[in-house]
Amino acid sequence: MRQLPYLLAIREALAEEMARDESVFVLGEDVQQGAFFITTGLMQQFGPERVMDTPLSETAVAGACVGAAMAGYRPVADFMFADFMYIAGNEIINNAAKWRFIHAGKVDLPLVFLACIGGGARLGPEHSQCPESYIMHVPGLKLVVPSTPYDAKGLMKSAIRDDNPVVYFYHKRLLGVQGDVPEEDYTVPLGVADVKREGTDVTVVATSAMVHAALAVAGELEGRVSVEVIDPRTLEPLDIDTIVRSVQKTGRLVIADEDTKRCGVSAEIAMQVMEHAFDALDAPIQRVGAANLPIAAGYMEQYVLPQPKDLVTAIEAVTGRA
Amino acid sequence: MALDKEQLLTLYRNMLRARRVDETIVKGIAEGKTASFFHSGQGEEAVGVGGCTFLRDDDYVYAQHRGHGIAHVIGKGGSPRQFIAEHFGKCTGSCLGIAANHYVEPERGMLGGAGTIGSAFPLSLGWALAAKKRGAGQVVVCFFGDGASNRGTLHEAMNLATLWKLPIVYVCHNNLYAQFMPIRDAFPREDIADIAATYGIPGVVVDGQDVIAVHEAVQAAVARARAGDGPSLIECKTYRFRAHAEGIPDVSHADPRPPEEIEAWKRRDPIKLFAEKLVRQGVATQEELDRIDAEATAEIQEAERFALESPLPEPSLLDGMLYAG
Ligand SMILES: Cc1ncc(C[n+]2csc(CCOP(=O)(O)OP(=O)(O)O)c2C)c(N)n1
Repeated sequence: MRQLPYLLAIREALAEEMARDESVFVLGEDVQQGAFFITTGLMQQFGPERVMDTPLSETAVAGACVGAAMAGYRPVADFMFADFMYIAGNEIINNAAKWRFIHAGKVDLPLVFLACIGGGARLGPEHSQCPESYIMHVPGLKLVVPSTPYDAKGLMKSAIRDDNPVVYFYHKRLLGVQGDVPEEDYTVPLGVADVKREGTDVTVVATSAMVHAALAVAGELEGRVSVEVIDPRTLEPLDIDTIVRSVQKTGRLVIADEDTKRCGVSAEIAMQVMEHAFDALDAPIQRVGAANLPIAAGYMEQYVLPQPKDLVTAIEAVTGRA
Repeated sequence: MALDKEQLLTLYRNMLRARRVDETIVKGIAEGKTASFFHSGQGEEAVGVGGCTFLRDDDYVYAQHRGHGIAHVIGKGGSPRQFIAEHFGKCTGSCLGIAANHYVEPERGMLGGAGTIGSAFPLSLGWALAAKKRGAGQVVVCFFGDGASNRGTLHEAMNLATLWKLPIVYVCHNNLYAQFMPIRDAFPREDIADIAATYGIPGVVVDGQDVIAVHEAVQAAVARARAGDGPSLIECKTYRFRAHAEGIPDVSHADPRPPEEIEAWKRRDPIKLFAEKLVRQGVATQEELDRIDAEATAEIQEAERFALESPLPEPSLLDGMLYAG
């Protein structure tokens, strides 16, 4: 099958949806060039009215996106770094997430908030965060965290077509990752997890870039421990059924995500598994995530972010196979 | 306010030192020695150096992010060694290698900066509030870019700073771009200084390539602030010579920045302009200026060596950094 890098898969989805639906437009700081090259070239294809460079005004961008969505468009706003979404907290958390609910479903907000998450570039705490848990915490926002080019494209199409606010987090470490992307039109539905690798001894639920770390570790441990890797792909809706089925098979669970461990995504998933499948667990659940510190810059970053060896340690702990 | 020869040469020396540090880090990026990203400030040295060199040690400066504030840091008497070491991710850096691009020296009024553009306004408002409460005559000089002025935080902060008559001087580096966004599509007027009219505070435009013009405008605003008359806004028309950040395309929207524009501004290099003026006015000979250049170059080479030879930080130090006490 045709191979594409993750970032081109996302761009292709944007281009196809913009061609398909006149009401889709992209806005944000420097989207005409594309700070992470996600939106590069779209302006040449669709013109500056549909690929709008905005001033440095995150609050206005988010608010405009909410307003335009209510008024009949399907805006896609790129915040560049996810860290900058906090600036528009009111528009994202209070307005986008709640307006349909408080207005009794009389308005829809079909919009996408795009942003780049994650460490690996040593850029420090205001350019490296994974704010998944903040978003996942808020009722009213869907949350997409693709790990492969295939998922990235298919989920982007679903996100744009969805009638709700969808936060779409792409990871800076994955931008160049290659993978199969079919030529023909397809979507990946929100709320369906993917078993990225089958195994029988332990379930590793991994998100975004951690999926690749989990697959690498699973490969290294082959023969010693049989690791099943599950990528939820979307955190809201969360496909807990697929995770629970896997845990019922393996009896053991490790959750790996790059978000700060305390109150992180992993805490929520672990608790849901406890609620649904406590009896299936043969060992306490282990979590792998960032230390409870701001993400340091420079060489110090590695001491805050989760590392593959932490995954190995966690897998050894739950399986008792050191 | 007229500067004597030694003071004039200090301005010259500081601009050169800032340029040499910037060049060192740009080279460090290419050689893989730096630990994080870098947004070169070459071309804008006159603003930071002219604005900071003759402040009091206890005045506060919020550096603009360009050059990661090197011209402001040097103007304020900060350490090029610690600046470079931080950019090389070393434990001798200003933030012990944890920030990899910030400079902090509270004793010299440099309390740090944020990675989120526009954070300067509310934070420096607080510094100015503290300065006023303390009553020791300190001022705050808050540097920011034309892009930062698009954030709503500017308006909230300026409104309160004016109402509370805080000792704050706003200095805008208007370098015509915010990352890839040209100012003509980000701000509807010619001059950012016009914002001052809304708050009824002085707003002036100066040539940001002329270190003396910047110095004089800032000192006049500082005098006003120290006298208790509140904030002022100074807009410095300037330009960055290099791309927004090292290693990324140098574009306006999605097209290359016009080479003629870059060349025209390079002819107005603030360091070159000032050297010509000093020689023309008989303040210094070319030989004296060359010697200053040689000294600055040697100093910064030594700082680079220091940074290269410094050890990496111990990971254990991270745990002690989050909470006080
Ligand atoms: C809140 C926020 N939005 C976006 C960015 C990304 N960014 C970093 S510098 C910059 C441009 C800033 O422009 P300006 O204030 O004019 O300073 P200049 O870079 O031109 O020196 C942008 C958009 C950021 N760091 N913070």
